[in-house]
Amino acid sequence: MNRAAGSVGGFLLKTKLFWGLAVLYGAGIILSPVNRRGENIFLDPGNQSDVLRQVANNGIIAVGMTLVILTGGIDLSVGSMMSLGCMLCAMLLTLPGWTTASTSSIPILGVVAVLLCSYLVPLVATNVRRGSAKPVEQATSRIRLIGLVVGLVVGALLVWWMTTQLPSKFGVLGVLITVPAVGLALGAFNGLVIAKGKLQPFIVTLAMMVAIVGLARLLGGETAAVYPVYTGSNATENFEMLRTLVLHVIPVPGIFFLVAILIFGFVLKYSAFGRYIYAIGGNEHAARLAGIQVDQIKVAVYAISGMLASLAGVLYTSQYRQGKPDAGAGGELDAIAAVVIGGTNLMGGKGTMTGTFVGVLIFGFLTNILLLKNINSNIQFVLKGAIILAAVLLQEGQVGLWWKRFRARTKKVSTGESRRDEVLQDHR
Amino acid sequence: MSGSSSLPIPMSSLDLASQPTQPFALEMRQISKSFGPTQVLRDVDFQLRAGEVHAVMGENGAGKSTLMKIAAGLIEEFDGQILVRGHPVHLTSPRDATRAGIAMIHQELSLVPELGVDENIFLGQEKLQSLFFVDRKSQVKAAEEVLKTLDFHGPLQLPVSKLRVGEQQLVEIAKALVSKARILIMDEATSALSINETERLFYVIRRLAAEGVAIVYISHRMEEVSALAHTVTVLRDGRHIGTVPAKGANRKDLIRMMVGREIQEMLAQDKSMTTTAKPMLEVRNLSLEHPTPTPSRPRLVQDISFTVGAGEVFGLGGLLGAGRTEIIQVLYGLHPGTSEGEIFVEGEPVQILSPLQAKAHGLALVTEDRKRDGLVLGAGIDRNISLPVMRTLTQLGIVLPGREKALARSMIEKLNIHARDSGQPTGSLSGGNQQKVVVAKCLVTKPKVFLLDEPTRGIDVGAKAEIYRLIRDLADQGLAMVLVSSELPELMLLSDRIMVLREGRPTALLDRAEFSQETILEYASPGGAVQPEFLTLEAAL
Repeated sequence: MNRAAGSVGGFLLKTKLFWGLAVLYGAGIILSPVNRRGENIFLDPGNQSDVLRQVANNGIIAVGMTLVILTGGIDLSVGSMMSLGCMLCAMLLTLPGWTTASTSSIPILGVVAVLLCSYLVPLVATNVRRGSAKPVEQATSRIRLIGLVVGLVVGALLVWWMTTQLPSKFGVLGVLITVPAVGLALGAFNGLVIAKGKLQPFIVTLAMMVAIVGLARLLGGETAAVYPVYTGSNATENFEMLRTLVLHVIPVPGIFFLVAILIFGFVLKYSAFGRYIYAIGGNEHAARLAGIQVDQIKVAVYAISGMLASLAGVLYTSQYRQGKPDAGAGGELDAIAAVVIGGTNLMGGKGTMTGTFVGVLIFGFLTNILLLKNINSNIQFVLKGAIILAAVLLQEGQVGLWWKRFRARTKKVSTGESRRDEVLQDHR
Repeated sequence: MSGSSSLPIPMSSLDLASQPTQPFALEMRQISKSFGPTQVLRDVDFQLRAGEVHAVMGENGAGKSTLMKIAAGLIEEFDGQILVRGHPVHLTSPRDATRAGIAMIHQELSLVPELGVDENIFLGQEKLQSLFFVDRKSQVKAAEEVLKTLDFHGPLQLPVSKLRVGEQQLVEIAKALVSKARILIMDEATSALSINETERLFYVIRRLAAEGVAIVYISHRMEEVSALAHTVTVLRDGRHIGTVPAKGANRKDLIRMMVGREIQEMLAQDKSMTTTAKPMLEVRNLSLEHPTPTPSRPRLVQDISFTVGAGEVFGLGGLLGAGRTEIIQVLYGLHPGTSEGEIFVEGEPVQILSPLQAKAHGLALVTEDRKRDGLVLGAGIDRNISLPVMRTLTQLGIVLPGREKALARSMIEKLNIHARDSGQPTGSLSGGNQQKVVVAKCLVTKPKVFLLDEPTRGIDVGAKAEIYRLIRDLADQGLAMVLVSSELPELMLLSDRIMVLREGRPTALLDRAEFSQETILEYASPGGAVQPEFLTLEAAL
């Protein structure tokens, strides 16, 4: 009986995050205003799909942030990375020919393709033959050469393809490949400096955050700070694709978000790469001594974070029909908040992608409810801050401890407070 | 069980008869404590007299640290009663304990590395000048006074991180004394100390006891307890097993009380193999740069050459800081760029610049500090064991969980690791079982050479015996072992040959017949003897 109660309590405690989301959702239904036809606005499919659209950008960034935080690091440059992605995307879509955007991003795309292939091909090749208990063999120089050749071919093809698009401006596929590649490169640079320079991730990414905002502004030039994107007139029609609703309810950015959650959730939970991420966050020394290439993993994690952030930039451009150099301002903090609400420990080594998913949704629904209730936007900030604090306190289990301590203290007063004072007096 | 503890305690070296009415300095009655479902203390009684050095012994997990943490106010919730000098007290925070005159010195020292000696001593009880500013001058003066009584002579304004471990420990004691502690609890105080530092600490402890301070001394080391303590209390599985005077308590009895079963006196074991089959590991002219070279010690380690055969255990002896650990680190690829020398594994020259390369060439390392370097404490046993061989457990980068679990289970069975299940977080295991997980992590890589750095530090007698047996078994299976241990009996028991180091240089290579504590210490101590073949090397430089 008692044990059953305990296990139920344990289950509730384990899934408290979901209960939090459920309570918030319930509150949303109850607090929601009702429209003229007597329908609950909060539950309206249009509203629900809006929430998914609104959380998509923050969610995609939070996915990368989860990986980074799990290694015990932090990535403050994602907001700026999103701004840069947004600007790049808008410029590539609306300006034909060799502009600052295309001259900077196409070569980067080529280099990223070459490096990525010459890293991934040997990795896959040595992994296909695995599964035996044989000690890990290093990739032979032949496999490495094949990787390099594949990389050069892929890189050349991509660069050629993008260049042919230049006279008539980029299409949707073009920006979806080029922009994340730039983010990947910048993220990898973050990781390289952190891993090889043995610097604090906070400082490195803070510096990058400042620098990348500058880059995004430089890119646009002095004259036009904001690039409007009118699909069908100054940009290609097919970019509209990113604004559509699949099955009339699911917005495309939401699909990007869900797919990112699924892919990286799977990677975290089931792949060797995921295990290494947890191990590095749990104890970097031990991971290094176990022969894990800690530096490589770190570079990969920051690269993924940068890639996802600039992808969020592309989605921003599609939603707001403009490229803005401050599109992602503050985005890093929202993402960190969502990850932390999701129960991921900022020290690293503890946390899940499911948690981040719920954290992002909690954040999104909260914003939505406050909007529907027409609450002053400044009060919204205060409320959000309070909710973050409360969520984290609950996550860390401190509140339960306070309660226990409080009970212990109140119990004591009756029995021995006076005698204790006596002894202490005696000692002075 | 309380019957055994209520026996009169004969105090052989203390004359307490003159003050028979004096209450105990610290009395703990019927202390019980559970962590979740596991009960770690059951109705334990403990009495401590002023001026007494009271050793508390027991295997890891016996509850000795928990009991003392309760006395130090570090554990809030427990059942039972605590009396300080006859008065019941409620100790629910370290602050309460300090006010009751109880101070605890932990195994891991709790000093602030960047603060000066005096600042550390007065941390939280700073001497203030006009309400706000720290009066550094009078702090230094007061600190000096206290430290003089502890035989500590050194600059006081240096950050404590610049001090040796033994000196840091004295600073901790000074901190306790400044807060007017009359009850001092020391947990594994000597685990990081050299022989000289241990001697000095003992001297200080005896002096404090003579001045009437009551001292609780938690230790694994039988030699220390018989050298220092007046009384010994043994705990096992959270129960009070007995309290006996240290004089006249013999080693075998104590071990039996701690372990609760007859074990063969481990030190009597002998081993058969001394002839070496084929050389597994050969090292030539190994050296490592010194970060701050001095004329007397230009390099951290130099002129190290030795060969370890298959099935041989090669011991590295020497005082703390002699360079033993550094040799092992160089072999494992932890000092790329600053180390030189040739390494051969099975006769093949190899280059080892990273742990990954070391692993690929068949080397495995059991680290000195399992919590810092060995384990991911938040992760399960299976996750830890699979870490070094993750790539053999994956298909296209995806972990095959069945294979991982099977590997963990086979290791848990093979090494007799006590755990609820293979996913139990390693942080919740006892020291001995943690160490076994570290060994398991090495074994799964199927190594040819095993590097062991203090493999039994801080683990209990029973687990020690198991680790010893394991090391012997592995050697018998043809592995080459390099062993570093600060416990001479352990080093002599396990090793086939011992190379003694002094300040980074070899001074002797001893065969099993030549082993004795005196010989090793002679070659290890500064100014001691040097074997002729090593002397010429030194003279040539």
